[in-house]
Amino acid sequence: MNLWRLALLIALFNIMTFGNGPVMIPLLQTHLVEGTRVLTEDQLLYAFTIARVTPGQANFYVASIGYMLYGMPGAIVATLAIILPGYIMIPLMHGFEHLRDSHWIEGFTKGLTVTSVGLILAAVIQIARGTLTQPIAWVVLIAMLLMTQLLRWNIFVALATAICLGLLFKWLP
Amino acid sequence: MDKPTIYPDQSRTTLKTGLQKHKVKDSIRVTKGELFLIFLKAGLAFGGGLGILAVLEDELVSKRRAVTREEFLTIYGIGRIVPSGTMTALAVAYGYKFGGMPGTVIALLALSIPVFVLTIVLTIAYHYLRNSRLFGLLPITIMPAALALIVVAALKLGKDIFRPSRELIIAGVAFALALVVRVNPAIILLVGGAVGAFILQGNEEGKTTKKKGGGR
Repeated sequence: MNLWRLALLIALFNIMTFGNGPVMIPLLQTHLVEGTRVLTEDQLLYAFTIARVTPGQANFYVASIGYMLYGMPGAIVATLAIILPGYIMIPLMHGFEHLRDSHWIEGFTKGLTVTSVGLILAAVIQIARGTLTQPIAWVVLIAMLLMTQLLRWNIFVALATAICLGLLFKWLP
Repeated sequence: MDKPTIYPDQSRTTLKTGLQKHKVKDSIRVTKGELFLIFLKAGLAFGGGLGILAVLEDELVSKRRAVTREEFLTIYGIGRIVPSGTMTALAVAYGYKFGGMPGTVIALLALSIPVFVLTIVLTIAYHYLRNSRLFGLLPITIMPAALALIVVAALKLGKDIFRPSRELIIAGVAFALALVVRVNPAIILLVGGAVGAFILQGNEEGKTTKKKGGGR
């Protein structure tokens, strides 16, 4: 793995997933964590957390991965790899508008979305095997799900509460 | 916090005919400075794609009337099929519309600077954390919470498919292939898209009762 190979992988994954941040997780997990082992599960999870707590586009966490592996050049190259395909927009605006109504593309993107739901959940289980080694971690995970899904708490509040919860369990006797 | 799911049907929001379309004079321009500020504001918006979209709508359609609602929705619709983030595509589109090629660079920079800077700062924080005693706390705090957030992202993407449907079968098969058979997810994703292109095209709302027998 070198910087250019990383850029190529990120560009490819970004294009395949239409720039959807979460959908890239299973791909990154397979190729960077399991395959080449240049990234740990912790690093991938941390990068994804960053994407959730920052404003702006949700696929920018690849800049974090770029930075972890190759410093600032890595971050910039990774960012360019996800931004540059955006220029396809210009030819599309010039007379290819009918593409929007293509049933094939509609079906393709639907298939992609649906497939990625299964893939993301599979990736979660794979990552969980490596990271959720302590019972407290499970408590925090479930609490986080409850806070965001059932109670619909703001992500910052939920994240802060989850962290406090983890610390509390750790330091209780 | 997600960018909108890549289901295209939401983009085809039906236009309220006549009344809500403002006629936009050609003279309404957005200067490069304004372009920068609008996209900087969008880049600071929380809530991922939808948050950014709301800012753009407010600035370009409601306030400045530089773009008609119809055009806004069309550009959004095209942006969704561009293989980068939709918001990246919108920055290119409006940058180009109001400032040509230099405009695209201005809009992209403005949109990306806030998230890029914050991402790098938080990544550097990770490096410091790594060398400290606090690092041992990550596996019981941030890591499980992050995993929960990934689950949430998947649930959000799939909010329409968790019921007996062809979609659920495809998702289930993808899940099993990835986890049990360990097929490369990139391949599964492409096959899933191709399968979708054949069997998921144009089936709208009222198909809740349909249930296909098996995933082959």
